[in-house]
Amino acid sequence: MPSILAVDDSPSMRKMVSFTLTGAGYHVVEAVDGQDALEKAEGHDIDLVLADQNMPRLDGIGLTRKLREHPKFKTTPILILTTESSEQMKQAGRAAGATGWLVKPFDPNRLIEVIQKVLR
Amino acid sequence: MADTHPEGAGTGAPAPFDLSQFYQIFFDEAAENLEQMEHMLLHVDLANANDEQLNAIFRCAHSIKGGAATFGFTDIAELTHHMESLLDRVRRRELSLSPDLVDVLLDAADLSRELLTRHQEGETSEPPSTAALVRRISELVTGSLRTSGTEAGAVAAFAVQGVHSALEPALGKGTSLPLRRLALRIGPMQTAEAADEVADLLCSMPNMVQLDELPVLQANVRALVLETHLTDDELRDLLAFHLSDEQLGIDQEEIIASADSAMHSEAGESQPSELMGDEFFGLFSGAPGLPVELLVEPEVSATNIVPQGKPTGGFEHKMSSASQVEAATIRVAVNKVDQLINLVGELVITQAMLAQNSRDLDSRLHQQLLSGLADLERNTRELQESVMSIRMIPMSVVFNRFPRMLRDLAFKCGKNVELVTQGESTELDKSMVEKITDPLMHLVRNSCDHGIETPAERVAVGKPEHGTITLSAAHQGGSIMIEVHDDGRGLSREKILRKARERGIPVTDDMSDQDVWALAFEPGFSTAEVVTDISGRGVGMDVVKRSIAALGGSVEIDSAEGYGTRISVRLPLTLAIMDGMSVAVGDEVYILPLSTVVESFQVSADHVNTVAQGTPLVKVRDEFMPVVALDKLFDVPRSVAALARHADIMVVVEVEDNRVALRVDELLGQHQVVVKNLETNYRKIPNVSGATILGDGSVALILDATAIVRRARSTRSLARDLGELV
Repeated sequence: MPSILAVDDSPSMRKMVSFTLTGAGYHVVEAVDGQDALEKAEGHDIDLVLADQNMPRLDGIGLTRKLREHPKFKTTPILILTTESSEQMKQAGRAAGATGWLVKPFDPNRLIEVIQKVLR
Repeated sequence: MADTHPEGAGTGAPAPFDLSQFYQIFFDEAAENLEQMEHMLLHVDLANANDEQLNAIFRCAHSIKGGAATFGFTDIAELTHHMESLLDRVRRRELSLSPDLVDVLLDAADLSRELLTRHQEGETSEPPSTAALVRRISELVTGSLRTSGTEAGAVAAFAVQGVHSALEPALGKGTSLPLRRLALRIGPMQTAEAADEVADLLCSMPNMVQLDELPVLQANVRALVLETHLTDDELRDLLAFHLSDEQLGIDQEEIIASADSAMHSEAGESQPSELMGDEFFGLFSGAPGLPVELLVEPEVSATNIVPQGKPTGGFEHKMSSASQVEAATIRVAVNKVDQLINLVGELVITQAMLAQNSRDLDSRLHQQLLSGLADLERNTRELQESVMSIRMIPMSVVFNRFPRMLRDLAFKCGKNVELVTQGESTELDKSMVEKITDPLMHLVRNSCDHGIETPAERVAVGKPEHGTITLSAAHQGGSIMIEVHDDGRGLSREKILRKARERGIPVTDDMSDQDVWALAFEPGFSTAEVVTDISGRGVGMDVVKRSIAALGGSVEIDSAEGYGTRISVRLPLTLAIMDGMSVAVGDEVYILPLSTVVESFQVSADHVNTVAQGTPLVKVRDEFMPVVALDKLFDVPRSVAALARHADIMVVVEVEDNRVALRVDELLGQHQVVVKNLETNYRKIPNVSGATILGDGSVALILDATAIVRRARSTRSLARDLGELV
């Protein structure tokens, strides 16, 4: 069962993402912000990271950058799931090494679809 | 044209689960965010707010917006979107955090809270209108923009204008305008830099994609090829604060896609971020983490417009150590905790029962059993303490409500008041916290309304213009002490005495201060000269005192005229467990709250005198106090042994400075008792505040010391008079 690290500072969003992913058969590790995610990424085998952008301590793009520095996460898919839809933000995400950019509010079916595409 | 996104792959399909199951989490979270935002707005140093603080405030609005949009509460999403836009500009230092701005944001937070409550209550009430507030926010943005520089102006125009374009896709509505390709001319501007700025700004707007920059002859003119959903008028509005109509040329246009397909950004060559997928769900082509079959090399296209270096720089994140700790907490429904506490209560009772039943066992024969019971006792006590601590929440939850209230109130009264809070981390049982908030509100309101003088009055008596109200909480033994202290005018002895006389309360001029201040708790007694709209709510200090007494607490006033007033509220830590003293009357066992017990002693029956009106009095160290015979009060036959003793055991209880001696037959001991509500389980009984279950399984009533003392109080002044005579 692939493990997904779901990072969001909003409990309701985290719960919803986690519910969606668990329902689709993934194992979910939750993190409350980028910093927490970095720490959890160390201790778990993570197959995919799904992160919010705006978070205290470390944001999604910052997290992506840090993870990409780590040999273990060179090629792990990292998706940013955020309300930010500006082109600059997406570019910044891309530059940091994100695999994809998903805009909230999310459609659970589409989310699974995208994840299946990269986790194949 | 790039490949189109497979239609129907979820776009139209309903969500596979019911969103409403997450509503409650969202409501709680949004309420928390609002509270946090309010707290930060009130505490931030307006002139020197740091990035971290501004970002944290922004994030609160941002999170609520995200959640509200996700869960379909569009009114909240829209309002918080405006707040977010405003805050975004603040954190980018394009606007400064002025008191006006804080006011608007606080109002917006209030309104968001109203909207939340309405959704939470099933949308039965009329929706409150957000239009006026939204206009105020917009005005703040646009108003500031005429004074601040051109760039800020244009961004502000976006903040207002862009609201709908930015929000609508986020709410899944989409825009109805076709995607157009435009050749735009900007300028001539005053300088080349100004022209660059406007061009950059235009390109960074959502739904605006730059395809090409065209050569121009003049240095202060830019020509661009753009794709956008906006109409000419919208474009002009957007840049109205920056460009005159003549400075913006729309030279040619071409409709390249209808609204629907535009949403999927199928204009292949115009995908600046090379997103494979639509605008809302996509993967970056060639990005790390893609499976091999999707790993196509990115085409380096000439249309890649984003200036390198600049945008990413803005997202550099600073780590903060002082951020909120959320990690190790879970949300639990209160009734689950209540149930846990009940069960532990049962366990405590069972343990007490086992302890009692095994008391007479021979310790040599039952050594193992007895040591097991000793362990059980220790574990039970620890378990009980841990379970109780679950309900404990810090006083900051209460204190946090005050800055806002006081801010509004001080403004209404035309006073300068500073609030200082101390001991916010002191913990108190949740049920107590809920019940103490209103009385505290009243006390703080009183301090501001009657205590603190107007700035002019303060200056006249040589005090600083700013009055200070200090709110503090601290543990004191088994109770918690909450104090409301102000440096205002203090209470006036004469005024209180005069008022007491007017009301026919017997007073003397040489009464102690303590007794004079206590008059303020008399029903209908207000120290206010004029009843204002703030104080005249029909809630007096007597109500405050009563509600505090109902919590098993007490309240005291200390004041010095001209220097201020201190009101001290003492509360037990919890309502569910109490330290009690058990006493026997006949065959019955009663529990007295230990906090009210002062002393106990034995007197010979001769020392109890019955004076006029038939109230028995006992003289204790030169003081006479009324005697309440519990056997008479509860109509219990006294034991033969007690009757034969020719001496009575008295337990002195003190409530609100009044002492009463309770006549009992035997003192049994002190122990913690689990308080059971008698009203919900049986019915209300006079002079009894609850019940508990003893170790032997029998039920014992917990006496309501306050009621008993009050009952005997009518004779209190008589007793004191007698005391003075002796």
